[in-house]
Amino acid sequence: MIHLKKISKIFYPKTVALKDINLHIRPKEFVSIVGQSGAGKSTIIKILTAEEKATHGDVIVGGWDITDIKRREVPVLRRQIGVVYQDFKLLPRKTVFENVAFAMEVCGISNKRINNVVPQVLKIVGLKDKLDRYPHQISGGEIQRAAIARALVHRPKILLADEPTGNLDSLNTKDIIDLLLKINEFGTTIVLVTHNKDIVNRLKKRVVLLDNGQIVSDEEEGKYIL
Amino acid sequence: MSSILRVIKFATQDFFRNFWLSFVTLTILVLALFSINLLIIFNMVAKSAITAIENKININVYFKPEIPEDQVQTVKNYLQSLIQVREVAYISKEQALDDFKNRHKDNPKILASLDELSKNPLGASLIVTAKNTSEYPKILEYLADPQYNNMIESKNFDDHQLVIERISDITQKVNTGVIAVALIFTIISLLIIFNAIRMAIYTHKDDITAMKLLGATNWFIQGPFLLEGVLFGLLSIIITIIIVYPLIGFIQPYIGSLLQTDFNLLNYFNQNFVMIFGLELLGAIVINLLSSYWAVSKYVKV
Repeated sequence: MIHLKKISKIFYPKTVALKDINLHIRPKEFVSIVGQSGAGKSTIIKILTAEEKATHGDVIVGGWDITDIKRREVPVLRRQIGVVYQDFKLLPRKTVFENVAFAMEVCGISNKRINNVVPQVLKIVGLKDKLDRYPHQISGGEIQRAAIARALVHRPKILLADEPTGNLDSLNTKDIIDLLLKINEFGTTIVLVTHNKDIVNRLKKRVVLLDNGQIVSDEEEGKYIL
Repeated sequence: MSSILRVIKFATQDFFRNFWLSFVTLTILVLALFSINLLIIFNMVAKSAITAIENKININVYFKPEIPEDQVQTVKNYLQSLIQVREVAYISKEQALDDFKNRHKDNPKILASLDELSKNPLGASLIVTAKNTSEYPKILEYLADPQYNNMIESKNFDDHQLVIERISDITQKVNTGVIAVALIFTIISLLIIFNAIRMAIYTHKDDITAMKLLGATNWFIQGPFLLEGVLFGLLSIIITIIIVYPLIGFIQPYIGSLLQTDFNLLNYFNQNFVMIFGLELLGAIVINLLSSYWAVSKYVKV
């Protein structure tokens, strides 16, 4: 599903963010990428969403070699991946419904289908009663659930979650992780980037540990040990 | 097609949901356009004031009392044939005497001394109005020909020469000044509009990044902002018209009484409505589109 081959990323002038990363993530896998701040976790997400280009190596997502992806192809790639961010990135002047619908609107999906699918997805994430609320009218946990609904609504094969619980309390954190596990059970490949030890250790899924831009361990049912 | 409809929906949604930002942006646009219209009004009032003063200037040519009427008429015909001359009015000896008596009706001594004279001591006169104040010296040059000059007792041009020179000077300075002020105003207005639109889009920069990360194309993101720019242009021109017309109605009577002319500012704006507001609309839309496009382009590079 995701294949990183000898990936390096050097930021101008000489900051090495990633060095010789080899990572293969299979379909339907749940992988946690862990490490301390500055380890290079978010840079991997940015390379997968074509926000950044790898300095060296090859990047393959869903069978598509995006190493030298063209600008006009970037939107097409992003529509096939769902991404959840720590800062949510919901559009503040759109309602929960409109925020989720926006991900389908950019894909050119009909209004009829949008009106049919969006309430269903919001029901899955537990927001069926808050369709008409604006982001500032709901809690942090609900905002993140809305962001997950938006990332899922166009049925991507891959969901990238970049520190999705970074701004949430422990109760909401648990809810979000449970939701991600449920989504994974439906067959979506999940890449979770976090530096939260408790989450990773509770998951008992594959753990890739990064340190100084390099993979220092990659274990099935691993633990986050510093 | 659905994509175009969505762009329209997003543009109108954003306009109303960011009401205060839209209101402030619109106010700045209206103020800029209103300033331009004020300048147009000032320019037209200044020009009409100068024309009104110019119309009041003329040369009085006084003929010797013994010059018969037919000779005065010959000079009149000659003057009327000159391209520099707009109008020549003839005042007969009798009319001149009546006017004189009328002017001094409260002075019995002057009237009594007039009665003692056996014949009319006043000559006929011509009042010459030029098409342009700068033409008077030329007209006087023609009158200096001995053929005419010998018939003339006096010309009052010297009284007006200073005024004429001052008026010509003021006209030229006002014209140059108006062009300079118009240029400065236009540049300032453009910069204000440009900045207002950029500021409005700056507040959306995080939204633009989020849209981009969701896979929206540049056109899908830029479309609503460009459309909003057009909407701002249209609304600002409508509001400007709503403000400018009552203002013209209010100041028109003052212009009429102050300048003593039949110049009608309202008619001027009515006759040049498409030219004035059409150009302003076009300018506002073009600058809105350019600034929107430029501002959004900065944030879509994600």
